[in-house]
Amino acid sequence: MASPSSEATQPADVALPLGRPERRSWTARVGDYVGFAPAIVLFGLFFLVPLGLIVCYSFWQTVDYNVVHNWTVDNYRYFFSVPTYVRTVWATIWVSVVATLLTLAVAFPFAYWLARYVPRRYQKILLVLVILPFWTSYLLRVYSWLNILGPEGAMNRFLQWTGVTDQPVSFFLYDRPAVILVLVYLYFPFAALTLYASLERFDWNQFRAAMDLGATPATAVRRILLPQIRPGLTTAVIFVFIPILGEYLTPQLVGGARGVMIGNLIVNFFQGAQYTRGAAAALLIAALIVLLLTLFRRSLEVEDPYGT
Amino acid sequence: MARDLDIVSPRGRLTRAALAGWAALVYVFLFAPIVLLVVFSFNANKYGTFPITGWTSKWYGQVFHDYQIRDALTTTIRIALEVTVVSTIVGTAAAFPLVRSRLPFRSGIRITLVLPIMIPGLLIGISLLVLFTSVLHQQLSPTTAVIGQAVYTTPFVLLLVAARLQGFDASLERAASDLGANTYQRLRYVVMPLLAPAILAGALFVFTLSLDEFIITLFLIGSHNTLPIYIYTQVKFGITPEVNALAALLLAASLTLMALAFVLPALVRRAVRLVPRKAGV
Repeated sequence: MASPSSEATQPADVALPLGRPERRSWTARVGDYVGFAPAIVLFGLFFLVPLGLIVCYSFWQTVDYNVVHNWTVDNYRYFFSVPTYVRTVWATIWVSVVATLLTLAVAFPFAYWLARYVPRRYQKILLVLVILPFWTSYLLRVYSWLNILGPEGAMNRFLQWTGVTDQPVSFFLYDRPAVILVLVYLYFPFAALTLYASLERFDWNQFRAAMDLGATPATAVRRILLPQIRPGLTTAVIFVFIPILGEYLTPQLVGGARGVMIGNLIVNFFQGAQYTRGAAAALLIAALIVLLLTLFRRSLEVEDPYGT
Repeated sequence: MARDLDIVSPRGRLTRAALAGWAALVYVFLFAPIVLLVVFSFNANKYGTFPITGWTSKWYGQVFHDYQIRDALTTTIRIALEVTVVSTIVGTAAAFPLVRSRLPFRSGIRITLVLPIMIPGLLIGISLLVLFTSVLHQQLSPTTAVIGQAVYTTPFVLLLVAARLQGFDASLERAASDLGANTYQRLRYVVMPLLAPAILAGALFVFTLSLDEFIITLFLIGSHNTLPIYIYTQVKFGITPEVNALAALLLAASLTLMALAFVLPALVRRAVRLVPRKAGV
């Protein structure tokens, strides 16, 4: 956090560049950018180049376990010719949409409560508690649900104890509902944080003004609150939806055969050394992400429709 | 306060209570799995689940005597240290031009540098797998895993240090130059002490992320194991109390490190402030 004193001196930066500007040599100006050199190597060579490679691979052919540089769309054609794969794409989109909506549905009332009703000095600590599980291992957060949903897990024990069933049911595990439940658990902190951040800035007096003018609370939420926090909502959707599209571990551990998502297909392709087909499947995820970002770009740009 | 107005109507009070109840459920939802995991790790039941047949710390003993776990732990820590060094240097170095120079395509560069956090780790993992095995013909090893993890963790250091640099009082540096400090002295005596808390927090953050990283490592580690990879291979055979104990230890480690990432920078800041005072500057 910037201290007030440093903020006060900030504008001076614009007028007075560091050092002695009039005598700056060519080398000094290059020196300004030298800090980027290691990052260019790391992100260029080991991030952008590999991503480009995946794009190329998805349009190349595998012949006798060798990748041949023939440009073709065969990998995509193959992918869409297998009904199971196509169904998996739809299943992935369906699971991602439902999980994202549920995450928001759980997070919104929570963030609303935190921003509106909790005294400010407690807000920070309650927020830290939300992020706390998020700082632990991603693998362990998925794993911990096996203790609850498994055939010998807490859920089954509870049902047997209450007499609903007399033997373990596997309904909870190895199906899409389990995947969605765990995904909501995993990505809740993202949604709660972004929603809280935008609700925290909201001026509740506007809300009260709307109600004074006769709006019901529901109308006030819909007409006054939602339009103003729309960028926050969009950010939350993006932060939750994008990683879910590429999920591999959750369907792998709790999804069973019916919970398979594109991520699992990709891993299977790569583990079976079918790099070109795997690359095509991976690009499908990338394409979905780009599509999503394009769709939401405009709604991210709209800020403060009321000019507050 | 205007807050009082909210609770005049009984309906408002009801809404408020309902929301508070919802929030309580959310906290239960967030913590129940983790708490249960820790409870089961002390459970004498050898199937690692209900019923609780007694309390024991025997599973923890087994964790410490398992040579596979010890191997995985060594690899994990080695990788985490290397990733921390690489990410801290690369991220800190890049923060300076990002914040201070007038770059062309600044927002584009910013997005590229933060993109590794945004896109699914799966894509980073497979794309580097293709690069290492098919193009560079490298054997997969902990080193390839270090590179993959560093791609993902460096943006965190970059963001933390850039944020600190943005709120940095640049007149301090100008004062140092006016008093005759050269670039090195400016960095060493003015910039670094002020950035140290952010760099330290970034380093601890990266160490924790590396310790817990799963998906990128899965593709790039080759025949070695890190603790998350080891746990993953074990889970395929079902839950054992030993894995629960290992998981609980890993949880404790990441939470401790994250707490340090928050507490240490404040302590360093205080120490930095104290030193010149003692030296009488």
